[in-house]
Amino acid sequence: MPAPVKRRATPGGVPSSTPAREPPRLRPALGGGRGSNDPARAAAASRELWLAIHLPDYVLESLRWRATLAGAAAHAPGGTAVVDVEDRGQVVCACDAAAVTAGIARGMALNSALALLPSLHVLPRDANVERALLDAVATLATGFTPRVALEPPDAVLLEVRGSLRLFGGVRCLLAEVRERLQRLGCVPRLALTPTPLAALWFARACEEVVLRRREGLASRLAPLPLACTRWPEKSVQSLATMGVRTVGDCLRLPRDGLARRFAPELLLTLDRALGRAADPRAAFVPRPRFTARRDLEPELSDTARLGLAVEPLLEELCAFLRLRGHGVDALELTLLHREAPATRVRLRLVAPATQAAHIAGLLREHLERKELPEPVRALRLRSGPPVPVAAVAGDLFARHAQRTAGVPQLVERLRARLGPDAVHGLRLVAEHRPERNWGHSLIFGNRGHSPISASQRPMLKMADQKLGNVPYFPCRPLWLLTDPQPLPGGERPRYGGPLELEEGPERIESGWWDGCDVRRDYYVARDRAGARLWVFRERQDGGRWFLHGVFG
Amino acid sequence: MASLDDLLRRPDLWRARERGGTTSQPPGRSTGYAVLDRCLPGGGWPTQGLIEILTDRCGIGELSLLMPALAALGSEEHGEGWIAWIAPPHQPYAPALAACGVDVSRLLVVRGQPAEWAMEQALRSGACSAVLGWAEFRDHRALRRLQLAAEQSRSFTVLFRRLRDGDEPSPAVLRLALESGPEGLVVRILKSRGGHASTVRLGRLDPADWASAH
Repeated sequence: MPAPVKRRATPGGVPSSTPAREPPRLRPALGGGRGSNDPARAAAASRELWLAIHLPDYVLESLRWRATLAGAAAHAPGGTAVVDVEDRGQVVCACDAAAVTAGIARGMALNSALALLPSLHVLPRDANVERALLDAVATLATGFTPRVALEPPDAVLLEVRGSLRLFGGVRCLLAEVRERLQRLGCVPRLALTPTPLAALWFARACEEVVLRRREGLASRLAPLPLACTRWPEKSVQSLATMGVRTVGDCLRLPRDGLARRFAPELLLTLDRALGRAADPRAAFVPRPRFTARRDLEPELSDTARLGLAVEPLLEELCAFLRLRGHGVDALELTLLHREAPATRVRLRLVAPATQAAHIAGLLREHLERKELPEPVRALRLRSGPPVPVAAVAGDLFARHAQRTAGVPQLVERLRARLGPDAVHGLRLVAEHRPERNWGHSLIFGNRGHSPISASQRPMLKMADQKLGNVPYFPCRPLWLLTDPQPLPGGERPRYGGPLELEEGPERIESGWWDGCDVRRDYYVARDRAGARLWVFRERQDGGRWFLHGVFG
Repeated sequence: MASLDDLLRRPDLWRARERGGTTSQPPGRSTGYAVLDRCLPGGGWPTQGLIEILTDRCGIGELSLLMPALAALGSEEHGEGWIAWIAPPHQPYAPALAACGVDVSRLLVVRGQPAEWAMEQALRSGACSAVLGWAEFRDHRALRRLQLAAEQSRSFTVLFRRLRDGDEPSPAVLRLALESGPEGLVVRILKSRGGHASTVRLGRLDPADWASAH
């Protein structure tokens, strides 16, 4: 009996409201029309073919999936059992084959299980991970068809009629789905029928059927036990006392009697399973952003170990991005404390990243510089909107591609440790004043800060072209002092001794219009040690001398 | 046998028969100064490994010495790499660099300490065709790490240090001491793997002249 833990599970397939009132948040209806009296809709619905993916072992598989994402071994040797912490952790709610061999079963008290197998590896159940696994399965399913619906907690429904031809028929499609799921570490039950609910029931009953027509549906459904319908426990039990144990038994009951004695959902779900009533499904919409949370047990205050604790979340993020072929250029890591307000680490990347190792390295640099007010109780990772990543075509002699690809990562790593302003590029500005004819270019993405106005751009372009070909200003030093250094001296400046003026003067007079008026005579000077210096004498304010550059 | 081949391919392994001879010295990248090229094994700057330039003064031509090689980096067929300036003593002046033929849009100026860490990152990223660094090395092991990173990266790696550091041993492939003589720059080759120690008088260097001549 495929009985996933009932406490947590919302009973699948049973709408909680009456048929007339579908839950309002079901946005795009999937399964055909509103009523079967519309012939066009009914015809469309009759052509549907639904594939149900049911994961009987999703509790254990989700934990293994998280472990493989984190790079840990998926299987602990010698038996694993999962307990529900919210249920005081006393009862085994899932266990692997090794534990079953030792005699452990679902619903067994943890103490008895440990008595049977002292080396049993006990894991706490994690609803977030279970939901994440289902999302991952659904996202994977969107690779087969655009019409995907979730059936929490353990199933996904796909309408695949339109995809059969593309994937080379039912057999090939099923094999492909199964293989992709096995790569996630899941062992699925697959069933294909014209109605979603019937497919789900077959899959839950571990009957892997392929039914393309509606005609034989009732007779094939008949032997299924009622447990696969996940009707309310009470109804199933009272039906059992009446000797009604299978779907077939139920179908033989008079409709009006069944409707009167039990909740109307029962009749409705039977009609839906047989295709007599429409079965609208909420379309699965992949999450636009990635969010994940990890509780830390025990609490951590060491930033280095926090860096390690984030890594599984980053792996998940990157798996999320890989499925979409996207990267991410902004993320926020929130460190939750017990009392103090949460510490936030914001990461802005110069280029969309797809590699977990790279993001982990940057986060580690940021974390190392954070002061933590208290130990960290939980981590929450939230990504910015996914950014499409241009696939880089590999170069056969991949020198060039590798070089340019590495620059954004390098800049990020340097900025993460040395500070956001530590790295900049250089650019030329069409100007005569030496302190203004160059500028910092904030590389990668931040070019918007450029102080050059649009009107100056054509000029700059001309200057660039000119500079590219012939020397523009012949006599400029390779080193510039950002602030000119005043030098003593009257007619001849002194700098550790009198300077010898070798070339000049070159007069630069400019900038009267913007308040930074410059009127200078520039000379190339040589000091006693033989260094060549670029000095100027002001043509105003008494003709003081300044050192402005060094010919390196 | 494969492991022996691997060993022989390692650039940091000296083979006795090559010592002093230039038989299988890989060709270097030209310095742009013929006098200096003749004194260096391989006829130019070594393509792999750390180059140390020791000087106490700014302004005697220590950058001009590198300019022809830096300008040529941009035009190499596999070039397109960036030039990283790590902790330079002053601001590199873009118009003068452009006049020397250096592609200003591919410069990366990095400030902040530790400079040796930044140099190593730049080398390991594989994104830089040249890495110029100004750093004080107290620790011989750190220098050795830098030399290893330089060997593996194929970047043109230049480390500027003080003249007094010339007394200490260094794993660098090439060590030059720069001094200013009466008629211009004097380059003393302190150490040159596969070459000889010698002194070269270069006279006044004007990289702008070099750029316009080519």
